[in-house]
Amino acid sequence: MSEDTNGKSRRSYLKATGAASVAGISSLAGCTLGGGGGGGSETLTIGATVPRSGSFSSLGQSVERGYQLGVARMNEQLERDVEIVIQDDESDAAQVRQSLNQITSNNDVDMLWGSFSSLLVTAGSAFAENQELPFLGAFFAYEEPHRNEGYEWTYSPFPKSRDVARSTRGLLSLIPENERPTNVGIWEPNSGWGAEQSTYWDDVLSNEGYDVVLRESFQLGSEDFSSLISQSKSADVEILLSVPTPPGGITAVNQMQENDFTPEVLKFVRGADPTAWWSALGQQGAFACMCPGWVPGMTGNGNDGFKSAFESEYGLEDGAVIPTAVGGAYNVAQVALQAVQAAGSTDSDGLQTALRETEFGTVIGDFTFEENGLPSEGQLTAPTGQWWEGGQHVVYPDTQGEEAIDFRYPMTPWSER
Amino acid sequence: MVEVELVAQTLINGLLLGGIYAVAALGLSLVFGIMDIVNLAHGHMLMIGGYVAILLFSALGVTPLIGMFVAMAVLFVFGMALQRFVLDRIVDEGIEQPIIVLFGLALVLQSLGRLVLGSDAQSSEIGIPGAAIEVGPILFSFPRTVTFVFALGLILGTWVLLQYTATGRAIRATAQNRDAARYMGIDTDRIYVLTLGIGTALAGAAGALLSMLFPITPFVGWSYLLKAFAVVVLGGVGSIPGTLVGGLALGVTENISGLYLGGGFRDIISFSIFLIVLLIRPHGLFGSGGGGE
Repeated sequence: MSEDTNGKSRRSYLKATGAASVAGISSLAGCTLGGGGGGGSETLTIGATVPRSGSFSSLGQSVERGYQLGVARMNEQLERDVEIVIQDDESDAAQVRQSLNQITSNNDVDMLWGSFSSLLVTAGSAFAENQELPFLGAFFAYEEPHRNEGYEWTYSPFPKSRDVARSTRGLLSLIPENERPTNVGIWEPNSGWGAEQSTYWDDVLSNEGYDVVLRESFQLGSEDFSSLISQSKSADVEILLSVPTPPGGITAVNQMQENDFTPEVLKFVRGADPTAWWSALGQQGAFACMCPGWVPGMTGNGNDGFKSAFESEYGLEDGAVIPTAVGGAYNVAQVALQAVQAAGSTDSDGLQTALRETEFGTVIGDFTFEENGLPSEGQLTAPTGQWWEGGQHVVYPDTQGEEAIDFRYPMTPWSER
Repeated sequence: MVEVELVAQTLINGLLLGGIYAVAALGLSLVFGIMDIVNLAHGHMLMIGGYVAILLFSALGVTPLIGMFVAMAVLFVFGMALQRFVLDRIVDEGIEQPIIVLFGLALVLQSLGRLVLGSDAQSSEIGIPGAAIEVGPILFSFPRTVTFVFALGLILGTWVLLQYTATGRAIRATAQNRDAARYMGIDTDRIYVLTLGIGTALAGAAGALLSMLFPITPFVGWSYLLKAFAVVVLGGVGSIPGTLVGGLALGVTENISGLYLGGGFRDIISFSIFLIVLLIRPHGLFGSGGGGE
C-alpha cells in the first residue's frame, strides 16, 4: 500500500474528483433560453418531452402513445393540421429545459405538453412561463407550485394531492366498517410533493378517525427501505401510503417481502403506476393500489373511443388493459383539442383565455381550471386503481366499466403467494 | 416490537447494509491504495457486474452467487485490458489524466448501458431457497445475510491474497515503492495490470451481489461511486480492514440516524460524519499518516 503518499494522494483525489464532478455537472446543465413560440399559423404545432430513458422511462412509451392517439384525434376533429414534436427528456429536469429549448428554437410551437412527475413537469412549466406558451402538464399532483409560482400559462388536467387523499379515504370506505384497518403509515419522500401529499393524507385520514401511527421521511431515490419497514412493523402499520419513484416502489416491495412485512392495504402513488411494476414483481405486485389519473374501467367522456383507438393502433390482447399513463396523456390532448376549438385559433393569448374559461370533458372527468392552473376544487375525483392479474383496474370510484373490479382486501402475505 | 428491539433491528439492518457498502468500496480502495489511481469508473464497472449477473439469471436462471464469478472474470479481463492499453500510456502524466480518462469511460459505459440494455431498472433474485432468519425479535433478511457473508468472504479473500501470497507481496512492495520493487526484480507493469484487474473484478462481484438487493440501471454508477468514496475515505485509503469498518460504520450511521432523525437526514448525517472524520483524522480510521520517503 502506498502509505507514504496517502496524505498527498488524498488531497489530489479530492481536488481531482471535485473538478471532474464540476465538469460532469456542467455537461448536464446549461442551456440558453431562446427561441419561443409563434402561433397563428394554420398548423398547430405542439412541443413535448417524454421520459424515454432514465428513472421514469417505464412510463415514457405509454405517455407518448397517449399523446400520439390524442394528436390523431385532434387531426380528425380540427380544421387544421396538428403536429407534435417529441424529444426524450431522460427523466432529467435540466434535459427537459434543454429539449424544450431545442424544440421551440427549431419549430413554430403553439403549445407545450409534458412530461411526467412533479420534478419534470415543473421544469417544463418554468420554461413555458418564461416563453409565454400554453403548457399542459399531467402526471403532476403537486399543488404548491400552482399557488406559489404565479402560473399564467401552466394548466394541469390531473387529480391533485387533495384529490388523491380523498380518493384514499374513499377507497378505505369500501372496506366493511367492522373489518376496516385503522393504523396508517406514511412514508414521506423528502420532496415538496412528498411533504404536501403526506400532509393531505395525514389530515384527511386523521379527520376521518384513522390513526396515523407512523409518518417517516426518506431520501427520494433511496434504495434501502429496511429501516422504514422495521419502523412500520414496530408501529403495527396496516395501511401503507407513499409516493416513491417507480423503481423505488418496486424495490420497497421486494424488501417488504424479504423482511416479512405485508400491510393490509398498500397504496404507492406513481411508484405502482408503470407496467414495469407487474413485469418486475409478478404476483408479488398484486393488491397494490395507485392513483395514476386515469385507470382502465373509467367510463364516459370519450373513454370508449379512446379504448377503440388504442386497440386499433396498438392492439390489445384478451384480458389485457391499457396502461394507465396512456389515458392520462390522452386526456391532455383532449384538453388541447377543446381549448383550440373554443379559442378558434392557435394564438397563445386566445388559447390561454380558452383554458381559463372552458369547461373540459376528458377521459378523467369534467372540470374547469382555476386561474393558477389547478383543476377547480372538488370537480375531479382521483380514480384509484389496483393491480390484479397483470393489469390495473379501477376500484374507486365505483364505475360500470368493463375493466372495473371490486377492491381486493386485505393483501395476501407475500409468503403465501 | 419495543423500542430496544427496534433499535437492535435497525442496527442489524445497518450492519448488513454496511457489509454491502464495504464490498462495493473494496476495489476502489485497492486500486487507489496501490496504484494511486482514482477509478471514477468504479461505480459503472459495478453496474456492468450487476448486469452480467442479471442477464445470467434471467437467461439461464443462474443464481448471482455463481454469476458473480462470471462477472468477476469479465471485469478482470476488462480491467487488465484497460490498464495495459489505456492507463499504462498515461500513468506517468500526473494524477489528473487517469481521472479524466476514467471519468470519460464512466460516461461511455453509462451511455452504452442505456443503449444496449435500456433505462428500466432491472434486478435479479438470489435464486436459492431460503427465508428470513429470526433470532428472537430480530429478523435477518435472507438475501442480505447471504450477501453479507459473501461480502465478508471477498474482503477476507482479498486480504489473504495480499498478505500471504507471492503476488500479494509483490503488489504491496510495488505500492510502497515502485522503483525499489522494480530494482528487486518485480515486473511492476504487470503488477499494475493485475491490480486494476483485481480491483475491477471486485467491482464486478459487488455489482452481482447488489443486483439481488437493489435495482440496477445504467445510472447507478455515480451513486455507488459516492458511497464507495465515503467508505474509502472513512476507513483509510488502501486499508482492507478499514474498508470493512468504514462500510459498516456508514451503514449503521445511516440507519440509526434515519431511525432517530428521519430518513430524509440519512445522507446529511452520514456525510457529516465523513467530513468530521476527515477533519479529525484525515487519513481515515485505519489509514496511515505516512512518513514520507
